Amino acid sequence: MKVVTGVVGNDIHVVANRLIDLSLQARGYEVFNLGVNTYLEEFFDAVIETGADILLISSLNGEAEGWGREVPRLKAKYKKLDDIIMMIGGNLVVGTGNAEDIIPRYKGYGFDIVCHQVDLNTGLDSLEEMLKERNLK
Amino acid sequence: MSQIESPDDNIAKDKQEKLLIDVGSTYFKLSNKTNIEQHFRDFNKSILDDLTHKCGQEIERFDKKDIHICSSANGGLSTLIIGVTHSFSLKYATNIAFNSGINIIDTILFQNIEEYSVPSDLIDVVIIVGGINSSSDNFSESLYRYLNNLTYSNVVFVGSELDVPTIKANIENVVVLPNIIDDRLHIVEDSLKAYLTNLYQQDIEGKEDIKDLYNITDNQIFSTPYVVNKTLPFIHTKYPVVNPFVLLDIGGATTDIHYSKDLVDENIVTNNEYDRLVFKKLGVYKSKQSLIFAAKNNEFVYELLMHLKVTENIFEEQSNKATKVLMQLAIFLVLCKISHYKKAYVNLKLLSVNSFVLTGGITKVLTVEEIENIVSFFYKKILNSEHNPVTVLDNNYDIWTLGAEGKERCQ
Ligand code: B12
Repeated sequence: MKVVTGVVGNDIHVVANRLIDLSLQARGYEVFNLGVNTYLEEFFDAVIETGADILLISSLNGEAEGWGREVPRLKAKYKKLDDIIMMIGGNLVVGTGNAEDIIPRYKGYGFDIVCHQVDLNTGLDSLEEMLKERNLK
Repeated sequence: MSQIESPDDNIAKDKQEKLLIDVGSTYFKLSNKTNIEQHFRDFNKSILDDLTHKCGQEIERFDKKDIHICSSANGGLSTLIIGVTHSFSLKYATNIAFNSGINIIDTILFQNIEEYSVPSDLIDVVIIVGGINSSSDNFSESLYRYLNNLTYSNVVFVGSELDVPTIKANIENVVVLPNIIDDRLHIVEDSLKAYLTNLYQQDIEGKEDIKDLYNITDNQIFSTPYVVNKTLPFIHTKYPVVNPFVLLDIGGATTDIHYSKDLVDENIVTNNEYDRLVFKKLGVYKSKQSLIFAAKNNEFVYELLMHLKVTENIFEEQSNKATKVLMQLAIFLVLCKISHYKKAYVNLKLLSVNSFVLTGGITKVLTVEEIENIVSFFYKKILNSEHNPVTVLDNNYDIWTLGAEGKERCQ
């Protein structure tokens, strides 16, 4: 299964990105890592070029909200993105925030799995569950 | 390979001296070891007749094997690119086309192909690209319908391997080359670049006017931008140019830009240190009308004219002053087009530029001060900055000479 991943916007926090790449590979995914500093259009374009099934976006520095809001408008421009599973994690707001507010908001933006300050392995386990639910694995 | 040069050696037929000829859309120039001459072209004559009429004696002095010609006179090849995304397939193919000296008529995002109008001009080569090798079904019927309505001479596919059988079954005479996108989404340029460069060669050889020139040279005729691009890594041997720099070649019909890779944030990883970009229909002779049109549509141009102490009427004039103003406008428009002020194929980090190098006919018309005047107007007005890069005028055509010599040494 193919996954496109990277860190959105002007964010340069790279450590999580490397760990995500390794963890996904260890779990048997084929990973396309766009690295830090990646814009939304590049994420979607990479999904198209690779034929990926999953898009996993990280955000650490507090920019996520602005980009999240852009997702519905941009995604609507694409004709071949309807089936992808979208996942976002890291620090999804400035400060600590409250997961009960954050999760529904990001689901509203179109994300299927939202992991605000959630440990990576926990997050990837919920991805596996979703794949099973959807009979994709 | 080093050559031993003796300064007082002026016997042309000896092994060392070469005659270099550059044929442009408006001028041609000749350069030997000591001298450069430049002539306005006479469009009532073929290029060869014009050359032999004006410089016959000089040409006579040389063996065919010592004459090297490059040309930008045939306008170059045109391409239309069809790709599946802006960030990868279209961007990579555009980059390769520009660096091969090809002019891009349009780029088409495949998913919306039905919304694009079909250009009526004959397209020299259509490039189709999309998907890494493990992705499939990147294209469908709408591609073939579009191609049916398009007139083109060549079509090349450089997308996913898995799509090759369908593409071959549906597009007659399609040339298939290795994918230009690798499995890590990086660019792979070599085979498409070689293909386009060869096509350019064949095109030159097919054009009567240029074909004639093989009567006076035994060497392959190259495209001028290709030669210039090869020179850029050595430019500092001729001028105190500080990297990163932008080279502007404002010609009669088109404007060519070569720039240091450091000036873009692109994720394109290539071996080239310098990339090229072309603005068709931006020139001061053949494309004068479209230049004026572009100028009138630029919101800052009236301020610029005021700054130059002239009015719009200058566009109707035929004078040295008018030519100067047109060239200054061309510089300004080009800077706008490559800045973040306009969203384009590339936006260069103009605040990091250390030098602007100008080559071509413009160096005979404008002084360094006149160019700097425009450049600083641009930085102040558009970028709100006092940044002031150094202007270098290649007024002896050293860049082209260096490139043509270098090319000849490589052979
Ligand atoms: C190192 C660091 C930096 C370095 C980064 C070096 C580099 N190139 O990587 C430098 C000094 C450059 C830096 C700069 C900044 N930083 Co900083 N930085 C940190 C720091 C201390 C550690 C980050 C780290 O590497 N952690 C280790 C990795 C493994 O953990 P992680 O990043 O949290 O990732 C884990 C999880 O979040 C999760 N995860 C991540 N993505 C995803 C995705 C999914 C789907 C899932 C399931 C899980 C998941 O998995 C990872 C492993 O468990 C954190 C504070 C902290 N202790 O976390 C601040 C922190 C991230 N930085 C912060 C800020 C504000 C900045 C700056 C804006 C500071 C400034 N004012 O200039 C800049 C921003 C620069 C930029 N353009 O992005 C804030 C962000 C605050 C927020 N979101 O509200 C933090 C949290 C500090 C703080 N408490 O204020 N920073």
